[in-house]
Amino acid sequence: MSSTKRYWKDLGELHQQPEAIKGRENEFPQDLAIDQVLGNSSLTGASTGRRDFLKFLGFGIGAATLAACETPVIKSIPYVTKPEDITPGVANWYASTFYDGEDFASILVKTREGRPIHIKGNPRFGINRNPALAKGSINARMNSSVLSLYDGARLTGPVAKGSETATTWADADKSIAAGIAAAAGKRMVILSNTVISPSTQAAIAAFKAKNPTAEHVQYDVISYSGVTNANLKSFGKRVFPSYDFTKADVVVSVDADFLSNWGSTSENTWQYASRRNPDLAMNRHFQFEARMSMTGANADVRVPLKISELPKAVVALHAHVSGNSAGADAAMMKATEGAAKALMASKGRSVVVSGSNNEGVQVLVNSINSILGNYGSTIDLDTHTHFKQGDDAAVAQLVKDMNAGSVGALFIAGVNPAYSLPNAAAFKSGLAKVGLSVSFSGYADETASLCSWICPDNHYLESWNDFHPKVGQYALAQPAIRPLFNTRQWQESLLVWSGSTSNYYEHIRSVWQANMANRGPEMGLFEDNWNTAVHNGVLTAPVTPAALPAVFAGDVAAASVAAAKASSGAGEFELALYTTEAIGSGQHANNPWLQEMPDPLTKITWDNYVCMAPADVEKLGLNMYLGEQAPASLVTVKAGNNEITLPVVPTPGQRAGTIAIALGYGRGENGEKVGKAACVTDHNGDFKPVGKNAYPFTTSADGGVNYDVLNVTVTSAGGTYPVAITQTHLTAMDRHSVVKETSVATYKAGDKAAYNHPHTLGVHEDVNGDGVINTQDRKPVAEFDLWQEHPVEGVGHRWGLSIDLNGCIGCGACITACNSENNIAVVGKDEVRRSREMHWLRIDRYYSSATTKESAKKDGLGKIDMYLKMEVPEESPTVMFMPVMCQHCNHAPCETVCPVAATTHSNEGLNQMAYNRCIGTRYCANNCPYKVRRFNWFNYVSEKFGEVNPAWDDLGRMVLNPDVVVRGRGVIEKCSMCVQSIQAGKLAAKKAGTPVKDGSIETACSAACGTGAIVFGDLNDKKSKVRGLADSDRSYHMLEEIGVKPNVNYLVKVRNTEEAAAHHA
Amino acid sequence: MHAEAAIREPLILGHKTYHDITNDIVGPIENKAPRGWYVLITIAGLIALYGVGCIMYLLSKGIGTWGLNKTVDWAWDITNFVWWVGIGHAGTLISAVLLLFRQKWRMAVNRSAEAMTIFAVIMAGTFPLIHMGRLWVGYWVFPLPNQYGSLWTNFNSPLLWDVFAISTYFSVSLVFWYIGLIPDFATIRDKVTKPGMKKFYSVLSFGWSGNAKAWTRFEEVSLVLAGVATPLVFSVHSVVSFDFATSVIPGWHTTIFPPYFVSGAVFSGFAMVQTLLLVMRKVMKLENYITVKHVEYMNIVIIVTGSIVGVAYITELFISWYSGVEYESYAFINRATGPYWWSYWAMMTCNVISPQVFWFRKLRRNLAFTFFMSIIVNIGMWFERFVIIVTSLHRDYLPSSWNMFHPTWMDVGTFLGTIGIFFTLYLLFARYFPVLALNEVKSILKVSGESYKKEAAKHHHH
Repeated sequence: MSSTKRYWKDLGELHQQPEAIKGRENEFPQDLAIDQVLGNSSLTGASTGRRDFLKFLGFGIGAATLAACETPVIKSIPYVTKPEDITPGVANWYASTFYDGEDFASILVKTREGRPIHIKGNPRFGINRNPALAKGSINARMNSSVLSLYDGARLTGPVAKGSETATTWADADKSIAAGIAAAAGKRMVILSNTVISPSTQAAIAAFKAKNPTAEHVQYDVISYSGVTNANLKSFGKRVFPSYDFTKADVVVSVDADFLSNWGSTSENTWQYASRRNPDLAMNRHFQFEARMSMTGANADVRVPLKISELPKAVVALHAHVSGNSAGADAAMMKATEGAAKALMASKGRSVVVSGSNNEGVQVLVNSINSILGNYGSTIDLDTHTHFKQGDDAAVAQLVKDMNAGSVGALFIAGVNPAYSLPNAAAFKSGLAKVGLSVSFSGYADETASLCSWICPDNHYLESWNDFHPKVGQYALAQPAIRPLFNTRQWQESLLVWSGSTSNYYEHIRSVWQANMANRGPEMGLFEDNWNTAVHNGVLTAPVTPAALPAVFAGDVAAASVAAAKASSGAGEFELALYTTEAIGSGQHANNPWLQEMPDPLTKITWDNYVCMAPADVEKLGLNMYLGEQAPASLVTVKAGNNEITLPVVPTPGQRAGTIAIALGYGRGENGEKVGKAACVTDHNGDFKPVGKNAYPFTTSADGGVNYDVLNVTVTSAGGTYPVAITQTHLTAMDRHSVVKETSVATYKAGDKAAYNHPHTLGVHEDVNGDGVINTQDRKPVAEFDLWQEHPVEGVGHRWGLSIDLNGCIGCGACITACNSENNIAVVGKDEVRRSREMHWLRIDRYYSSATTKESAKKDGLGKIDMYLKMEVPEESPTVMFMPVMCQHCNHAPCETVCPVAATTHSNEGLNQMAYNRCIGTRYCANNCPYKVRRFNWFNYVSEKFGEVNPAWDDLGRMVLNPDVVVRGRGVIEKCSMCVQSIQAGKLAAKKAGTPVKDGSIETACSAACGTGAIVFGDLNDKKSKVRGLADSDRSYHMLEEIGVKPNVNYLVKVRNTEEAAAHHA
Repeated sequence: MHAEAAIREPLILGHKTYHDITNDIVGPIENKAPRGWYVLITIAGLIALYGVGCIMYLLSKGIGTWGLNKTVDWAWDITNFVWWVGIGHAGTLISAVLLLFRQKWRMAVNRSAEAMTIFAVIMAGTFPLIHMGRLWVGYWVFPLPNQYGSLWTNFNSPLLWDVFAISTYFSVSLVFWYIGLIPDFATIRDKVTKPGMKKFYSVLSFGWSGNAKAWTRFEEVSLVLAGVATPLVFSVHSVVSFDFATSVIPGWHTTIFPPYFVSGAVFSGFAMVQTLLLVMRKVMKLENYITVKHVEYMNIVIIVTGSIVGVAYITELFISWYSGVEYESYAFINRATGPYWWSYWAMMTCNVISPQVFWFRKLRRNLAFTFFMSIIVNIGMWFERFVIIVTSLHRDYLPSSWNMFHPTWMDVGTFLGTIGIFFTLYLLFARYFPVLALNEVKSILKVSGESYKKEAAKHHHH
């Protein structure tokens, strides 16, 4: 059944109205049908086809996407007018001079785009230049000093006491001029470190001329007045002599840490090391000391003595040498017998030095050297140094006068007496009574923050200065950058206050012009001489040698009495106060690189501590093994009213009954802003000084400062303290393929197998040609290859390092140089405690153990016992220092295991690390037999590490080397053998159209090594120095038997020991 | 249908019909979960969440939140990785190797063992990922075409082999497991009445019709996959062992590692199966399917593999002495007597000495004791990996670099977290998936079912 119903939409439709029908048509317009549009012939001919449409669409989306992204703005502003000397990307080196009142060295400053970023020794000029190696010797404190330029705690302008902000120099000058006027008639004192600058002396003279009551008092933080006063008594000259260790066949040191912190170390080190080459005449070095010093660690014969015995040892030595044994201690006579015998056999070719600051002891030492005829040969009083002119008696008088209120004005330059004086409290109370006190310190440090004005000095890299380190030796410092802040050189301040209108640069020039006749051989235009001197950084004037050598005129009897006095009063424990290689006297305590540099012996960073003999540690029941979760025990050391609570570190070689504490720590105790890294947040979350100040334990005695405290009590303070150690294990476990050492006699006997036994493997062929195949048929491991050999031998370059274990004194200058060159992150104490320091280069320290494989066999010791005993150093061990960096293996275990090929071999023998490719599996680090790979456990360039890592703040970042990328979190890094320097050297050679000259490329470590222990070069260059060393009889590869074929080789350590020589004779 | 010796212990106890089996397995899925399940998943879930939190913290702060250092660059991370991979071995071994060997007893345990495998491999795979310093570029381990020219992965690296080995193992195990699940999903689909569940299981069952052709194909595919999976059982842990065996580190550089690792893996895998099944059979009332006999069989595997592992330990010691290499010799003396001696002796006690008690039939049929032992074995196997990794690294060639490893709370947290995630996944599996291969179990009912056996014996007797 169908329906006939009609349906309609509206009435219009029902009634078939024409408008309605039309409107309906428009509702769905037929003439706009899609097939009509597409079928339009004009459209097919249109230029915008489907493909174009898609292109536009794609472009449109792309453009919209791009426009939506923010383009990073990189502010790279070109020079509008390019400075003449600056080519972006090319470093400029300027000769300058480092002098901080304690150490002196001629240096070269590397600047990039106007920023000083690296320091090395001046290889061409200066007293610290090793002529045989053409290298300038400097220590870690010197090459790290570039970082302190960028310390955020530096003052930005003159500051009045109580003021938070810096003011203008005009204000400061006005106020200080008024202060000076008010002080007229009273004592007016300029208290400074030893001034060796003639122009500074002239500026002081000008100030004195203006202010007749002004005087200059010099104060050495580490006093040598015992030495200088003894020289006054013995020879009539209050000077610190020049030593020449190159001429000394026998070196006897009684507690003088001359390689680290005694005398002119930048000279001592290279001179000493030049006599440690067993192929030349090697010196013999005797060391008598209580604590294991870095110098003692290098000695051939080291005799541990109590501190109270050391003066007796000098007396005994004197008795031996003079033949008059009256009053000498029998035990000491025996202890010094060997040294005395060697000295007597090398008259005129030996040197005796003593670290004592006791005048009597030093007079005896002078007498010994005089009897031995060493004056004029190894010791030079004519061309003496100008160092160590400090006068402790004058300083003591000044403190008295200040307290008496008779000092009207005090100007303090380069020293920090409120921190370092034995009677710092008296100094502070006296300072309050001084009308006008002005500090020139760059920081509001312990002293400066108490002064009425701080007139901050420039950093030395921003300064002009001149120096007169020795008779006949002049040096210049030139600024490597314009002053970063509104600071002014202190000499210039003095000039201003003296009414002079010339700036300090003009002043230096005028001083030089006036004295030019005395300086330099060339007579000519001053301008030429000046420019040469600025360029070289050094000027040498001829010296007329004295006709007669100095005659000893000291009173030996009186000296012996004084020495005996220095031995008396010994208690249960004797305390030696010393300075460390890294921090020194404390003025560099704010340098993160130095704080994180491990101590050469204890390998501890970021702290000072009580060094104690392991036997005493055991006796007192304190913690013997230190590590990440094994903190050190705290003890309280008491002497008189002074006491200090510090962690105890068992230090092998320390004489039982003696302890040692480093000075220079505990800066900024009262919240003074002494700079980055001097105070850090500790494990309890407190912002505290690093270490503790031990200066209060020093005493003023007989016009000098005494660093030995013969009667202290040591009691357990209860509790522990975490220490950050980079090497927790003490011995080498008798592993001969790690460290090899021998005696001169064995070495000279010429049988290489006796001291550098090659590793061989048995083969199934008749190697020796005796007709039978047996265990005698062996081949060197070098001939075996598990993999295809990298085609590096004889093809192009093969970069390598040779490290002479005889040359390495353990100083660590290479470590900080590497930090500076390669932007190595400073990670802070807590990360170091967790063994996460980022150093690409470390110096392994091994103490000898009484147990060896040989001795164990003889004693019938089981393996387990043997290994346990091997872990324990002997009571008086010998020490090995071994710099270890990436060995750049030709069969590198790290390269095969990286899943993404982030570490690969270059065709020049380098093991390369592509940080960008690294995904951070750390497999390479595990598989590295040398454990040289370092992982970025955190983002070390972040706020968390900003307290210590200079790369975090804008100012500190300026020290970064733009040629080396700053590594981010999660990637492995390691020694690149300074590939940036290699590339630069190759480019320079290419531009010059010559082959790369041996020695033209240096790694940061090899350039920093003043003793020449680290040599870099091309192993494929048969005539190169490094190849010669690699082919020498002493050369070996660490862990040769595992077949990784490193490009770094080591030279066997040779000790000039008598016992071994006798054994082999 | 096979005829089975009457003296063989039945594999299915009680008088079960096909319908009973279906009800026993699908019942828990249909019904509300018992309260115990909620308690367990809450605990596991909380631990899992804590673990996820730890992992997030690790990824945001850096690997330094673990206790690693310049000497010990791997510790708990890779220990956990190897431990989990090892656990992941039992499932495939049971389902593939025992299938090929026609071991019928596997049918009651293979499903859950395989599930355990898959979850364990997921946990294992987590560690190589999160232990990377830069996870965000972790995909570089795949040989992908890229814009860097010929930049390719390093095919020499055992870590890369790991990537392939683990991912292959995971995919094959997953497919094998899933194929086995299809007929069972179909059974559930057919049984459940709630529309949501019906939809869910019908999607999962891929339209399984259950006709004879489908069953033939199913059997064929299972056999083929078993053939593919069997070599993987041996290859995966061999490849994992290459991470260590191909290195130069004394204590790692050992040719014995591949068989030693594989047997260790089976050892720990079976222990983990015991841990899970002993609880599950009780909670889900599967005592009739997972019988004491099953437990005994697995304990026999444990004693065999445990003894192989013991022989391997002793061989290592012998070779370290016999080789005459001082580093090798020291590495092993240090393991036993050095600062980590306790971990070595924990390993020795748990893995070598304690499984020997299973020589006593009474003990290997004692369920409570077996449960206790399964925990002991897994602790021992964790220590084995810890000993290999940490004690070898912490004192290798240069005494200057010798160091200790101390775990942080993050090390503990990430490890516990993976255990939490693992159990969460396993509990979800037990709730929503058929925990027994019910269709396969049905296939042996007539030959290994207790009642049928008795009946057959009776008939035979007459």
